[in-house]
Amino acid sequence: MANCRPQSATPNNMKIRYHKVPGVFLLDKQLATKGEALYGERTFDGYRLWNPRRSKLAALLTKQAQVPLAPEQIVLYLGAASGTTVSHLANIVSLVYAVEFAPRVARDLVRLSERVTNIVPLISDAAHPDYGPVVELVDLLYQDIAQPRQAEIAVKNAELFLKPRGYACIIIKARSIDVTEKPRTVYKREVKKLEELFDIEYVHELEPFYKAHAAVIARLA
Amino acid sequence: MAHIKTWFGDIELHNDEIARSQVLKADIDAMAQRLQQEDFADFDKECRGRLREIAIKLQVVSSEREYVSLLRAVMIQSAKQRIVAAFAQPDAHIIQLIDGIDDIDESINLLSERLSEWCLLTSETSMPEDLLEAFASSPSAQSPLAQEFAGSISRLCELRQEIANAIELEMRTTAPNLSTLAGELLGARLIARAGGLGPLARMPASRIQVIGASKALFRHLKYGTKPPKHGVIFQHPLVRGSHPNNRGKIARTLAAKIAIAARLDFYSKKVYPELLSQVEKRVGELQTAERNPEQHEDKIP
Repeated sequence: MANCRPQSATPNNMKIRYHKVPGVFLLDKQLATKGEALYGERTFDGYRLWNPRRSKLAALLTKQAQVPLAPEQIVLYLGAASGTTVSHLANIVSLVYAVEFAPRVARDLVRLSERVTNIVPLISDAAHPDYGPVVELVDLLYQDIAQPRQAEIAVKNAELFLKPRGYACIIIKARSIDVTEKPRTVYKREVKKLEELFDIEYVHELEPFYKAHAAVIARLA
Repeated sequence: MAHIKTWFGDIELHNDEIARSQVLKADIDAMAQRLQQEDFADFDKECRGRLREIAIKLQVVSSEREYVSLLRAVMIQSAKQRIVAAFAQPDAHIIQLIDGIDDIDESINLLSERLSEWCLLTSETSMPEDLLEAFASSPSAQSPLAQEFAGSISRLCELRQEIANAIELEMRTTAPNLSTLAGELLGARLIARAGGLGPLARMPASRIQVIGASKALFRHLKYGTKPPKHGVIFQHPLVRGSHPNNRGKIARTLAAKIAIAARLDFYSKKVYPELLSQVEKRVGELQTAERNPEQHEDKIP
């Protein structure tokens, strides 16, 4: 990556470099963000290692440098689960509205948001957004949900909450849409649905970290 | 003029100016309570972009920083209430119970195998069906350790019975129609697999028919093998007790009736006892047809 300069010495003399996305770092070749450990991940000198096998956003950042994340952003995150990715994202951007439906994992998310001051937990179904009175306009819509109607859900939420020309990062899980079809056929079809509302910037597959997953980066038309 | 309902109160906007407002000032409990009870319509994007500004103007909060911290406090409170409510559902309890039975069954099997191996050390014949009874009269029963071991198995069996009774009781009140038609345990298992009575009620009958046969189903969809005829509903005596040629048809009829029963239980709570006899009637027809194939050739292709 660009801007390679050592910042501080770590216990095993790791080289710390900047990722192109501000707020993201590379410790040797491992992705990291700055903050205290929140779910048992390893830390070095205040840097939290971010495992690309546990977070699709980390997988995307490992494979691709151009991700529209910025420090001042407000993010609407659909499919927060227990908040692994959310906790790192909160280190990068200014505020995260984290939506999760399943009460079991949402408990971890609530515990996390009690500790981190820029996460707002929302226990709701992203397919039937009832968080209208709560969420303001956001700069980025991030979606990682295992639902057959992923594209429709993204469109609906973008219509309600995304700023004009705001970005969307949508993880398509091909296996949740159709197990029988080839993942690439599924991506194409989903991207087509997204094109109704978005300008697509790029589609990037998340192999080898995730099988049959792709990230779509798009911008509200 | 725009009327918007936000998490901090109701606001009427007139030419971009706040015309009227009714806000809750920094009362976290009241705000969370309101989010739980009221219906909120979506409002247009322009107002949404001004939420922080409006809250500050109405002196709900004094700064953007405070806006976020108050919102966060309210939403954590509201999230906790929603989580508690989700776990307080009777079907959540039933799911725990049925999963508990499955765990206990696994443990009983595992421990029984060990005990039978243990007994074989001192006995020359292999262990008969009723393991615990045979154990009592076997030479291994002399050992206090083995006795303790056998004791835990029988305690597990008792616990299993108690849980089964509890499921029957809960199912009778939460899902009476499903219980009558499918039996309490099978009904509970269907609820657990579907993820709740609500999701089961929304499922099409064809899916209920193959709940628990997902491997076979997806093998069918992917590679074109034969589709599964039944999933967990195979455990129903009408399916299991029938001739293999008829099981598919009976499973289909039963699944259709189960779908109706689950919907009755979830949406109306009306009790409709005829469902089971309707399935039995259809099973009767199929069995007669099976016995006299010539007379019914047109009916069974």
